[in-house]
This record gives sequence, structure tokens and C-alpha cells, in this order.
Amino acid sequence: MRLQFVLTEVLQGLRRNLSMVVSVVLVTFVSLTFVGAAALLQTQVTKLKGDWYDLVEVSVFLCPDGSTAPTCADGEATEDQIAGLKKVIDTELSDVVAATYFESKADAFEAFTELYPDGYQGTQLTEDDMQASFRLKLVDPEQYQVVDDVLEGRAGVEVVEDQREVFEPLFLALGRASLLAAGLAGVMLLAAVLLITTTIRLSAVSRRRETGIMRLVGASNLFVQLPFMLEGAIAALVGALLAVGGLWLAVQYLVTDWLQDSVDWVAYVDVGDVLFVAPLLIGIAVLLAVVSSVVTLNRYTRV
Amino acid sequence: MIRFENVSKVYARGARPALDDVSVDVARGEFVFLVGASGSGKSTFLRLVLREERPTGGTVYVAGRDLSRLSSWKVPSLRRSIGVVFQDFRLLPGKTVYENVAFALQVIGKPRHTIRTTVPEVLEMVGLDGKEKRLPHELSGGEQQRVAIARAFVNRPQILLADEPTGNLDPTTSLGIMRLLDRINRTGTTVVMATHDDEIVNEMRKRVVELSTGSVVRDEVDAVYGERESILPQVGQTPVLDAPGRGERAVQRVQVSPEPADLEAERAAEAAAARAAAQEAAHETEQGIVQESVQETGQGQGPVAPEAPAAPPPAPRRSVPEPAGASADEVVQQVLREHERVRAGREA
Repeated sequence: MRLQFVLTEVLQGLRRNLSMVVSVVLVTFVSLTFVGAAALLQTQVTKLKGDWYDLVEVSVFLCPDGSTAPTCADGEATEDQIAGLKKVIDTELSDVVAATYFESKADAFEAFTELYPDGYQGTQLTEDDMQASFRLKLVDPEQYQVVDDVLEGRAGVEVVEDQREVFEPLFLALGRASLLAAGLAGVMLLAAVLLITTTIRLSAVSRRRETGIMRLVGASNLFVQLPFMLEGAIAALVGALLAVGGLWLAVQYLVTDWLQDSVDWVAYVDVGDVLFVAPLLIGIAVLLAVVSSVVTLNRYTRV
Repeated sequence: MIRFENVSKVYARGARPALDDVSVDVARGEFVFLVGASGSGKSTFLRLVLREERPTGGTVYVAGRDLSRLSSWKVPSLRRSIGVVFQDFRLLPGKTVYENVAFALQVIGKPRHTIRTTVPEVLEMVGLDGKEKRLPHELSGGEQQRVAIARAFVNRPQILLADEPTGNLDPTTSLGIMRLLDRINRTGTTVVMATHDDEIVNEMRKRVVELSTGSVVRDEVDAVYGERESILPQVGQTPVLDAPGRGERAVQRVQVSPEPADLEAERAAEAAAARAAAQEAAHETEQGIVQESVQETGQGQGPVAPEAPAAPPPAPRRSVPEPAGASADEVVQQVLREHERVRAGREA
């Protein structure tokens, strides 16, 4: 009985300010699409990091002949220095480093000739032009700084390089894009809150007679306010569902069907990730609606 | 039932208080008229009872509850024990008569089967049997007020507040409304009615509480409206309005003949009351109970069981004259005659 009555009221309210309800739906749809896009970009970044960081290593380049670095004043790194560094890596960095691989000048030359059999830019290089290095595979690629702190500046070490730096520009771009999306989402969410507030207020004012009588005959606060809350929540919920649908289509057609086919060596977000984001969007929508209706209704339909 | 203890109400800081140290005690089942000029505090009194306002000073007790200590989430439960009727009816224009009355039950979460039985009952009682499907704008003023009363009474409140319920109605229709309120009062419901209608007050001879600029200046049982000129000074000699240039008060009132629909409603309500009473009487005779129970039957009028002694009302009070056993048509004629008589008396 109560439920049916409340639902009838809700339907009537939705019908009465249809245009406002549609605008609420659209604004929440757009704003939550931005929120979802930001979340998906973040997911994409995490995925790429997970994939690529497994491949990257920290290279500890040892002093070659004739280096100008202050730690290389003694000339090319000696066997003792190399053994000493190996020991430091095995003891002090045992928690951070998962695997150590020593690449001698010969190994480096071999790899080089494999990559450039005809010499590099017309210059034939010899084994002595190569540089010996330690390749460290880290347990957590983010812990580059620890390795750098320990090894940088030791005798025989010319430079410590983090291969992650190669990806930084891409990640930076993706991060900024998701920040932009989040910023736009914030503005749109603000608009959504204001619009929902206005819609509920309009609805409450247009039904002032009903609510006045409800208060007089002793309807509880919740009973008076519930239809309005539900109205806002339903509109916001529809917007959220549209946003989820939009993101689903975008990921399905733009990423899975198109990007995946043309650039297939990258792990992309998929519709599974959209489903993961969906509860977040719906939660935000309901929260928006509830907060704005509670604020409005306390002013307009208080007992 | 309603007790005001030194109640004051000031709306704006520094303004004249709307109520100033008012103490009134209304017992269960009483019928009280609240009279006084506009701005004398009648409406404030009613709003305080409903806890739409809170007093600035003093304490208000309603149905055993101290309203100053009543938390706001208990206000709905207080209001469920109070019915309210207004001058402007306040019906929902888009809903039919039945829906308007049912609305009051729906919004307090009454189950559907209760609504299906209670609403027709109360509509029959107010004399709107068969008009359930009408919309408010298809009804006369008197009928609309009956719907409003039905809505206020459908949940059987302990208290019925009426804020100038006859203010928009012609005298005859008003009389019909008053008979209805009187019948409701006889079911044990406490009725407090704010009014300007001296005819009605004089006719009913109930307790009268007169307010003037926020204070109680008179509280009499079995009383009359009093000096119209002193209560409503603005209705006194007004040369411009009444008799330009002569300064003489015109006593001639506009003659109105009531709407046929109102008379019909009144007839139906009488008939319903009579039926209920007859049923009750028959029932009691069956059980051998020789007692007219004004409080319980709710319809202690009309024909009673032959052996039932006329039960003395709780207080020596006169209700609107109603000939026992009269047919509905006779009753209406009676009302009209009574009305004429009163008017003649006033004009004399």
C-alpha cells in the first residue's frame, strides 16, 4: 500500500516536470561519463605500468675508458670494483633486486651487432667502444630511487639509469588527460547537483498543497519527502546507467574493436573494466541525488 | 485534552505578542468556540495546538503530551490525533471526493482494506453518499466543506480544530455544517472552532472563549457571541459602508437561499445519522441495554430506543434543535424555519 502510493506519487512527479527530469538525466549522464573516462584512463595507466614495468630494468653502467665522470677518475672499472659492486648489490639491495645480470663489454657488443649488423650510422664500432653494465631487475620497479641512492657515486659506476624514464612522457600525458577529465567531471557534477536541487525544489513547490495536507494529517517526514528523493534518485540513476552504457560502447568500439586491432602489443582497458567502474558511477549518482534532496527538502517540506 | 498554561507567543522580536499569557483548559469531549476579531490570536491558538508554532513562553498540553518537550519526529503522531478544517477547505483539486478523503489515510500508511471500509462510512456520515466520484470544483461550498470535514474526521481524531469553517458559506449551509460538527462532537471528539459567526455561536450555546489582542477576555460556558460591536469594532457603525451620510448601522443582511445540493447533503447526513442511531437502538434493544451511549455510538441523535431515557448531556447544553424521529425532509424544513426565526430575532 505505502509502496504503491509512493511509487504513484513518484511517477506523477516525474511526468509533471518531464523537461527538468530529462535535463537532470542528461547532465548526470555527461558528468558521469567524464568521471568514468577519468577512471578508465587511470585503469589504462595502471595496466600499462603493470605490463611494461615487468620488462624494464635498472642499468648500472660501469666506467668505460676515458669517461669524464668524477667516479671514473681511475679509468675503466677494474675487476675488483665490479666484484665489490656485485657484493653490494647482493647484500645491501637484496630486498629490492629480484635478479642481477652482468653484461660484459663482449656481451654488449654481441647484442649491438645483432641489432645493427651494418654498424651504427655508418661507423663500425669495436668491442672496446662498448660499456659493461649491471642489469638489475627490481622486485618493484617503483623502487628505482633506492638502487640509485646506494650505487650512484661509487667508484667504478658511471651512471645509474632507469629504463622507466622512457615511458614517463606517455604516462604523463595519460595522467594529465585523466586529470582534465576529472576536472571537467567536477564542474559537471556541480552543475548536476544544482540542477537536481532545482528540480526537486520545483517539484516540492508544485506539490505544496499535497505536502501541506500530508503534514496536517500527520504523515511522517520520511513519507512526505520520500517521493521527492526517489524522483531525484531515479533521474540521477538513469543518467548513471546512460553513462555506463556510453562508456561500454566507447570501449567496445573504439578500444577493443579498433585500437586493439591496429596496435595490438598494448594491453587495453576492456568492457570488464567498465563494469568495474559502473558501481562507482551509480554510487556517485545516488549520493548526489540524496545529498541534494536532503538539503532541499529540509528547507521546503519541513514539518 | 488541550491545556494552555500561561502561554505567550511573540512572532517577531519586539512586536505585540499574538498570545499574551493565555491559560485555557479544554476538557475531553467539549465544544469550544474561539471568538475574537481578526488578529486577536485565534489562529495562533490553533497553530500552537497543532505544533505548527512553538510558544515563546508557557506550556501547551495536547492529548496528554507536553508539546514543548515533544521531539519533532513525534509531531506526526500528535497530528494524527487532531483533525483540522479550514475556511478555504484545502481540498486537492485533481482528486475526487473519495480520493481526497482516502489521501489522509494513505499518507499515514493505513492498509488498503481499512481505507476501503472507512472512507465510505465517513462520506455517508457527512452526507456525501453517492458523490464519491465528483471533483471538488463540481461541488458547492457546503459540500466541499463536508469533504474537508470527512477528511479531518476519517482517522477518528480525538480533537477537531476548525478555523472559521463557515466563513465562506451562506447561513443555512453554515447551519448544516454546524450540525455536522455537533454530531462529531457527540462522538466524544473535542471540537475547538474559531469563528466570527455570531448567529452560530448564539444558536449552539456552547462554551465561548473570547480573545482580544492576545488575551482571554471572556470564558463562559453555555454562552453567546456577545456584543458584536465590541468584538468586531470594525463591523460597528461604518457610515461609508452601511449607510453613507447617515451614520446608521444597516442591519439588513444579504438574503441568500442555500444551494439545493447543500440541502440534499444535509438531508443525506441526517438520514445517515438517523439510520445509524436506529441501528444502534435496535442493537441495544436486542442486548437489553437500556442506555443511550452518546460517547460510544457516535450517533446519539434521531430516534432512540423507546425505553431509552433521554440521556442528559454532560453539561447543560443545547444542540441545534433536532426533532427526534423526523424524516430528512422535515429536518431540512426545520433547519430553514429555525434559521428564519433566528434572523427575525436578530433584526427585531
